[in-house]
Amino acid sequence: MRSTDRDGWRVRREELPVSELLYVLWGRRGLVLCAVGLLVLAVLLFSLLRGPDYAAEAVVGITPQQQAAGGGEQEVFAEEVLGAVATRELLQQAARRAGWGDRVEEFRRRLDPEPSVTQDGRAVLRVRFRGDTPREAASGANAYAGLFVERVNELGKDRLAGGSLAAGAELLSAAAPGEAYLSYHPVLYLLLAVVVGVVLGGAAALLLDTRGNRWRDARDAEMTLRAPVLGVIPDHSALERKE
Amino acid sequence: MDLGAARDSEEARRLLSPASPLRRHYEELAANLAAEGGGARSIVVTAPEPGAGCTSVCLGLGAALAASGRPAAVVDCNLGRPHLHRVVGGANFVGLTSGLDGRRPLESYGREVLPGLLVVPTGPVTASPQALLEGEAVVEAVRGLEAGREMVLLDAPVVGELLGAPALLGGFDGILLVIHASRTSRKAAREATDDLIEAGANLLGVVLNGAYGAHMS
Repeated sequence: MRSTDRDGWRVRREELPVSELLYVLWGRRGLVLCAVGLLVLAVLLFSLLRGPDYAAEAVVGITPQQQAAGGGEQEVFAEEVLGAVATRELLQQAARRAGWGDRVEEFRRRLDPEPSVTQDGRAVLRVRFRGDTPREAASGANAYAGLFVERVNELGKDRLAGGSLAAGAELLSAAAPGEAYLSYHPVLYLLLAVVVGVVLGGAAALLLDTRGNRWRDARDAEMTLRAPVLGVIPDHSALERKE
Repeated sequence: MDLGAARDSEEARRLLSPASPLRRHYEELAANLAAEGGGARSIVVTAPEPGAGCTSVCLGLGAALAASGRPAAVVDCNLGRPHLHRVVGGANFVGLTSGLDGRRPLESYGREVLPGLLVVPTGPVTASPQALLEGEAVVEAVRGLEAGREMVLLDAPVVGELLGAPALLGGFDGILLVIHASRTSRKAAREATDDLIEAGANLLGVVLNGAYGAHMS
């Protein structure tokens, strides 16, 4: 009943060998599998309830009437324009135009306008919208982007007549239903659930193994104590029952 | 006979009887000790916590050795909690403490419970148990039992107390740590092992006592 080489077991005491970790996980594989199973089930339920989720993007170019210097300034400029234009009224109009009627809050939750700068240094607004279908996603993004362009240009014209915004805007690319993509990846989430399940289940298994009073067998004792087990004496009552 | 005495008597029967189903497991332990013990003849048997079964392991191992024609002795060093004499039956009027003055060999204070198996109880404990175990007299007295015997097993106190008795810890050939499969906590066992090694003890190995289920051997 001796399986550990006596030479060298002392020098390994400070390490936590992978073999010991795997042995503990294997010993409590039921717990680990339960943790993984629960998380996978949660992800599956979440996916079923959530349904497919598509995202589409429209890009609006913003041109300052006075030339800005660098890329950083362009981005600040795009943010300023968005801040000046993105009003509640714009949101309501876009929701109506996209067929969302009075469900403005839900429309807002699905909308993600993001100011940025293109590689050639131009300020743009990327309007992303999530919909249940590719058509709905594209329609939402285009409605908001179109209205944004109209509003910026209106304010730009007003500027010439004493208004506040010195910018022009144009739709660089409209969102197309065919280009909409799944913004939520069930497979990725399932993989993540498996990884998190193994980590959580493994941590629980290690904790139980450290705190418990039960020793499974000689290998368990050798792994835990990192000392050779020279003998295993069975519980006499269990042994008598067995015999 | 009260319940405790009946239980002790039953335990002695299980450990000493050649027909006991436990015997082959102790024979295996004896074989492993002989093969891996580096020729150790005096072995201190201890545990991380009380109740792991050191006395049982000492008696079972001693009986297995004696039955195979290799004489052995078991000495109860649990001066704070004498137990060996209760298991094998008999009084505790004389024993280890009686032999510490060196006037008579320790052998004369024990009795053979099987042919080739000498059992020495603690004897009367009048002074502080810790003080008695700290002296070199224990080592000298027990070493005297090695003559003509294959192995001398010391049924020692738990590791925490053993660490305070350098004579027991370092005065013999090696230490055997007994852990119980359902009573010894993992934390205590790991700490005990670490403490023994840090103290420079020659830890020969571990005995898993009270194993159950499919992996009992």
